[in-house]
Amino acid sequence: MYKISAKREQWKAYLILVVPAALIYFSVMAFPTIFSIGLSLTNYNGGKIFGNPKLVFTGFSSYLRIFQDPDFYLALKNNLFIVLISVFGQIPLGFGLAYILSRRLVKGVDFFQTMIYLPNVISPVIIGILFKSFYLNQDSVYMELLRKLNPAAEFTLSNHPMIPVLVVMLWMYTGMYVIIFLANLQRIDTSVIEAAKIDGASEAQTLWYILLPALSGVIVTCAILAISGSLKSFDLLFVMTGGGPAKQTSVLSLYMYSKAFVGAPNYPLANAISTVMVIISFILIGLTQGMEKRFGGKE
Amino acid sequence: MDVRKSPWGVKILIYLVMFIFTVLAIYPILWLVIQSFKTTQEYLTTSKLALPKLWFPGNYPYAWKLGKFGMLLLNSLFYTIVTVMGVVVFGFMAGFAFAKIKNKATPLLHGMFIVGILITLQSIMVPLFLMVNTVHLYDTRLGILIPYIGIGLPMGVYLSTEYIRHIPEALIESARLDGTGYLKTFFFIIFPMSAPVAMTVGILTFTGTWNEFMLINILAASDTIKSIPVGVGRFSGALASDYGKQFSALVIGLIPMLLFYLIFRRQITKGVAAGAVKG
Repeated sequence: MYKISAKREQWKAYLILVVPAALIYFSVMAFPTIFSIGLSLTNYNGGKIFGNPKLVFTGFSSYLRIFQDPDFYLALKNNLFIVLISVFGQIPLGFGLAYILSRRLVKGVDFFQTMIYLPNVISPVIIGILFKSFYLNQDSVYMELLRKLNPAAEFTLSNHPMIPVLVVMLWMYTGMYVIIFLANLQRIDTSVIEAAKIDGASEAQTLWYILLPALSGVIVTCAILAISGSLKSFDLLFVMTGGGPAKQTSVLSLYMYSKAFVGAPNYPLANAISTVMVIISFILIGLTQGMEKRFGGKE
Repeated sequence: MDVRKSPWGVKILIYLVMFIFTVLAIYPILWLVIQSFKTTQEYLTTSKLALPKLWFPGNYPYAWKLGKFGMLLLNSLFYTIVTVMGVVVFGFMAGFAFAKIKNKATPLLHGMFIVGILITLQSIMVPLFLMVNTVHLYDTRLGILIPYIGIGLPMGVYLSTEYIRHIPEALIESARLDGTGYLKTFFFIIFPMSAPVAMTVGILTFTGTWNEFMLINILAASDTIKSIPVGVGRFSGALASDYGKQFSALVIGLIPMLLFYLIFRRQITKGVAAGAVKG
């Protein structure tokens, strides 16, 4: 008898503790994710969902339409640029700065750390608008500097419109990786490093044979963060360029937003784009973890 | 060779690198603050890098009124505080159940929360918009709060479960022997003990919610419901050419988060590290 009531109490407590979080989480995130995949397979475009006579199952036709849309490939290409600058720009740069700080090669570690992380806490909307005045028009700071070199310089973005965006992203997020690497470098047992030093290892050898292998897991975590973060990028671009000029800086999230919320909505297409984004993200993360299994883990 | 005893050249080089990066990180922000004290006229006619001839504070009251920042600030504070409380309390309740109460549902439920960390906001935007509309919560504060809490929960559940798992089992057992129920054990023993992680989760949620822009843009129509980032965003459209007002609006939007960062910078950086260390 005692046992049964104890079991019961355990169940009751479990329910009370888990239900609020689960209810909110499932209705806001888990269900919409599945719902989105479901909607992408229909022609649903507003109005009632149940009992809607015009609602039909259309299979993968929305996906086929995306894959025939040149705008999709433009957005995808720009997203890949962002992934590349994140993985091969922010992470190495962040590691380098964290390394300098963690080895106490400079004084004032706290100060540098605070300042370098600062851009991360500022709203991307503010950063986007700010950098518009820095780069993106005839009156920008960038143009003023450029005119000092070449007084006849004209403002143009036609050649590589993504470059200013990528520079801002590098500026914004490198600090996050500095913090992550710094925290993990400080967790490494200093006696191992000291021992290596006594055995005559140089600074570069210590870095290559001790620190990097010990951090391979963290590097993978950072890569995953960078990839999922890259696919999320929206706010900054939304205010900075709005995807323009002529969709040259569009990314998948902006492409989806334009299908769903600009002009006549096209929900099936928007949902299909969302699903494609989730799939791309999982593929890239899977690849990263595969790389880690193959090359990493030399601990 | 110990770098700390390295030649002066190397030392100066390293300092130079750090110095350049620091300046690059903060100069645009400083520049913005300086330019916000110029009139639009002066900004357009003088060098973009010059200091104002006369520090003109008049842009600020204009931008404050035009952007309706009083209302937006209150909204932002409300959303952020309620979301932080919701994420911390509900997240830690679930985290405690997952870590310390045996149940067959735990692996599945907990796993679903963890997957949530990887779900991007875009993939739920359209269905969420439709659902919020269906239940008539479009353009209401509740219709914004519930999604915000839901988005914060995966990280909250993840960090709290990890932390509570390392609290000794004996502590809970002895409370149980004294006849304390699970709920009481959680609220009076475990939750207070989790204060450091609760702080981390709270701060991460605070930053995320305060800066959130996309979702509220879609879920709110009236000015009385919107938050600071949306108000700042307004200055990128029709008001973009009035640089004086635009820059001061940006500074107004910047100040709360800057203060928050300077007060909590240790916890913020610790939290960022904690979020990425495990896994």
